[in-house]
Amino acid sequence: MSTLAPTAPRLIGADLLKLRSRRGLAAVVGLLTVGAVPIIYGVMEILHLVDSTKHGPAGGVENLGHGTFVVAALGGVAAAIVGASAGAGDLDAGVYRDLVVTGRSRLALFAPRIPAGLMFVLPFVAVAYALAAVAGVVFADTLPSPDVRLMALGGLWALLEVSFYCLLSLAIACLIGSRSYTIGIVLALQLAITPILASISALGIVRELLPGVAMQSLIAAGFGDAVRQGPVVPMSPAATAAVLLLWVLLALAVAARRDTTRDA
Amino acid sequence: MNTTSLSPYVVETAGLTKRFGDRTVVRNVELRVPRGAAFGYLGPNGAGKTTLIRMLLGLTPASAGTMALLGLPVPKQRAAALARVGAIVEEPKFHGHLTGRENLRVVAAARSREARGRIDAVLERVGLAARADERVRTYSLGMRQRLGLARCLLADPELLILDEPMNGLDPAGIQEFRGFVRSFVDGGGTIVLSSHLLDEVEKTCDHVAIVDRGAVVAQGSIAELRGADGTSVLVEVDERARARTLLAAERTVDSVVDDGTLLRVALREGIDAVPDLNRRLVEAGFAVRRLEPQQASLEDRFLKITTRLENAA
Repeated sequence: MSTLAPTAPRLIGADLLKLRSRRGLAAVVGLLTVGAVPIIYGVMEILHLVDSTKHGPAGGVENLGHGTFVVAALGGVAAAIVGASAGAGDLDAGVYRDLVVTGRSRLALFAPRIPAGLMFVLPFVAVAYALAAVAGVVFADTLPSPDVRLMALGGLWALLEVSFYCLLSLAIACLIGSRSYTIGIVLALQLAITPILASISALGIVRELLPGVAMQSLIAAGFGDAVRQGPVVPMSPAATAAVLLLWVLLALAVAARRDTTRDA
Repeated sequence: MNTTSLSPYVVETAGLTKRFGDRTVVRNVELRVPRGAAFGYLGPNGAGKTTLIRMLLGLTPASAGTMALLGLPVPKQRAAALARVGAIVEEPKFHGHLTGRENLRVVAAARSREARGRIDAVLERVGLAARADERVRTYSLGMRQRLGLARCLLADPELLILDEPMNGLDPAGIQEFRGFVRSFVDGGGTIVLSSHLLDEVEKTCDHVAIVDRGAVVAQGSIAELRGADGTSVLVEVDERARARTLLAAERTVDSVVDDGTLLRVALREGIDAVPDLNRRLVEAGFAVRRLEPQQASLEDRFLKITTRLENAA
């Protein structure tokens, strides 16, 4: 029966279409990622050219670290918005029930949102990081240029951070069915809750359960402290992977469960 | 049109019940929708019409009872059953930032592989081909209703389930919708439509179930339901008192009321009894000046049933 034919690629394409067609979403995500990097490096380079005694070159390893932080932080904000749109778009528009009445399983409707969300946001972040990496080399001047390995590690880290917040946002959006609340919750976790809890040393090892803390422990050592924000909580790679996977899998499982059992 | 099952009923429910906490909104519904019918599910607002449709489509689980669509039990074989069902629940909703065509592409992705190939044809059929590439947020309510129908037709459905489909349509749109229903049924399909508009159901459908406070209180063909209310006949004769006695003694007559100029004769078994009554009057020597059957409307029947229920409550 043709209805049982694999539909995942078609459903991913449909979810991607819903995201791509939102002009406002594409503009905001583009501005937060690809748009932000030239502005930051442009300002730094102009300051250097105007007064090179007070302002060093815009490139080099340390500035690539700062650039990586900016790409990951703003990319994380973009990820929150994209994840929320991918997760709650059908519910917000009231079309979820029209997809359910096709007879397609609700899990089959839920799962394609994950690759679609990532396929939408990650290219923006990849381009933004590529611009930062090029700027790190081109504007290095007298500073040491970042090597290929460090650039690749920085890029992977930025993509990992953005992917994590995109998936978390998508799961929360499916769970509560509201884009705006989801964006608020994820930004609060990223920008307020994690830094506050991570700075409370009395919490000790419990802080390792925070995804933001785990993410910090994955930053390539070659960047020094240029990318890090807040106190460093040392974690083993296994513990880091476990914390991040636990957050993502648990959030997606709860969201899938909610999506498959809710009154549509 | 290929058919999924040879069952004579495309929708069958038994003891179907839905409770929200202590409140029962669908009560022990036994529904049988014959194949090839335009079936009206008629009831006042809040009677549980939409909830029944939502259960049939798997949007909300039933609290008790069984159901089958196209001869297939649901929710057990829901995917196979719904593959040939198109439905609009409440008002049709769309992604406003997508065009009409893109909205259909989204739903076609969840349907069979062939569904995408039907997009142009269904847009043409509902008269939206010229506006298909405009964003849906610019569409009027009538255009959204048409796009909703187009979305249903992507499934090449055997059964359409439409919830209050005439809401928001202007008179021309309603006329057009009636034409669509007729052509779909003539093509071998079945339509179930819920409505609180008695007149529209009577004009659009050939079968009906009347629902009140969650329970089906009557169902059958429109003609059967009208007939069940008892056709009456207005009789004008020269000797009303004697004619009244004669008619009241007839087996097919339920009651005779003399309103001063005419006899209003209520029949037990519908309009078929009228020629016999005429013959009896003529043979008894009455000069019958007028014999006018009065067909009860579905509205009469509906009001009588619901009033009876209110009195019994």
